[in-house]
Amino acid sequence: MIRLLIVDDHPAMRAGLTAVLRAEPGIVPLGAASSEDDLPAMLERTSPDVVLLDYHLPGADGLKLCRRMKREQPAPAVLLYSAYADSAMVVPAILAGADGLMNKSAPAPELFDALRAVARGDRVLPPVPRELLEHAGTRIEAEDQPILAMMIDGTSPAEVADTLRIDQRDVARRIDGMIERLRVEIAAVQA
Amino acid sequence: MRTLRAHRWFALLTMTRVLGAALAIVLLLAHRVTHADPLLAVITAVWTPLSLWTLRRTEDWEWAPAVWAADGLAALGLVLSGGDWRSPFYVFTLTTLVLPATSLPWRAAFAWGLGSSALYGAVAWLTEKLPADTLSNTIRLETLATHLFVPVIVTTTLAYSSLLLDRLRVARSHSERLALQAERQRIAWELHDSAKQRVHAAHLMLSALDADAGDTHNRALLDGALAELRNATADMETSVAELRTPLDGRPVDELLRERADELSRTGVARIDVRGRLPSLPPLVAAHTYRIAAEALTNAVRHAGCTAIEVTLAASPDMIRLTIADDGVGMPAEPRPGGHGLRSMHGRAETIGADLRIGPGPGGHGTSVALALPTPGGSP
Repeated sequence: MIRLLIVDDHPAMRAGLTAVLRAEPGIVPLGAASSEDDLPAMLERTSPDVVLLDYHLPGADGLKLCRRMKREQPAPAVLLYSAYADSAMVVPAILAGADGLMNKSAPAPELFDALRAVARGDRVLPPVPRELLEHAGTRIEAEDQPILAMMIDGTSPAEVADTLRIDQRDVARRIDGMIERLRVEIAAVQA
Repeated sequence: MRTLRAHRWFALLTMTRVLGAALAIVLLLAHRVTHADPLLAVITAVWTPLSLWTLRRTEDWEWAPAVWAADGLAALGLVLSGGDWRSPFYVFTLTTLVLPATSLPWRAAFAWGLGSSALYGAVAWLTEKLPADTLSNTIRLETLATHLFVPVIVTTTLAYSSLLLDRLRVARSHSERLALQAERQRIAWELHDSAKQRVHAAHLMLSALDADAGDTHNRALLDGALAELRNATADMETSVAELRTPLDGRPVDELLRERADELSRTGVARIDVRGRLPSLPPLVAAHTYRIAAEALTNAVRHAGCTAIEVTLAASPDMIRLTIADDGVGMPAEPRPGGHGLRSMHGRAETIGADLRIGPGPGGHGTSVALALPTPGGSP
């Protein structure tokens, strides 16, 4: 059984997701948060296995919230859910620690499969195109490139810190910096 | 020398010149001080409409300044033939300054005014009506000074007004453009933020029904509804893109060449665009362009290719676009979460086009072929 928390700012999307997921055997929607303000309390109360997280939210966006949740112990699996799950979003999503990236126009069975996969601990991420990775490499600081490369391969920030023999907090700070730089790219793609 | 500006100032010219001519004629025929000269009055009556007609015809011409100069000289000619620099044609002469003052750049206009004053001074000297005591006779000196300075003042004032009006017009069109842009952003935001989310929600709920729909009729209806919702999403995406970066009615082939140049500059692959497209209705053009642009972006991002060939062809009943690359070809399984291909198919369906994405000629690379019936062409 997958205990699921939904985060989406649009009421129609929250209602739709809750209705659809409630009917799906093996998935239990515990509730739906509409913004970063509701989220901490709901996380505390429900401690879900998986969070289905909208990218576009008022205030802090999905990437930021994903980062924040992934710092908790134990951290839920996070499936980023966006109307623009374009390949430009893959690299920032990986950096933010998302376990999956899903487009909102995908049919329900695909969403169910993705939720089950991330609950199992698998990653549901499109492959990162070479050109996009190279481009991301040019946008970030040269010293951050090893961190990016390791994270694309699925290494967790803690392991990255171990391998590179740097402080975990330092890694976290540098990851935040990379996301900020690459976020500009997402905005450009959406414009 | 834009038409709008010329029209406004031409009205001023017409008004003042008719007034100046009437004043001159009255003075020539009736005033005791000037000697009566009916012939000159008749010449004035004929010259006024003739000069206005000529100026009207030539105001947008490149050598219009030459016509204005001729007009000014003709007016000075009238002054000369009147025989006195304190002339009934003085106001008439001032009207020759209206067009140069309002149409030339302000420095040139100011120079024109100074030139006119100098020429008037020359005319005054030619009439030999400058008495020897002019410089010691305050009243005469004042009259002469006034006659010589008024052209400069008139020109400067008009040039300044014209400059201000121009700046005002630029500022207004700028703020109108900004307001329009803000409005477009707002509509785009609403479309994306609300309408599209609702459509996504409806699509999600209906797609969850899918597995339970055993009945073939219901199944067909459901599939149709799902397809329509996807098309609605595609329409909204194109509209949002249009609102944010409008094609502005520019031809699709020109835009594609521009996009190809942009992508070529990233150095990943060489992109050749061949052929032309006829002009298309706005929504069809927007969808067509965005399908082709998406195909180009995909090729550059995912195909690992070195060359991309875009072929555009139009026959009376069909328009064909082909984007072929020499890359690794399509993956057997579509990328999870991938959205580009779905939205391309959605857009193609919306405009009634046939979109085929598959291996390129000889099984190498990927080829995206879009065929759409020529809008308004034979069925």
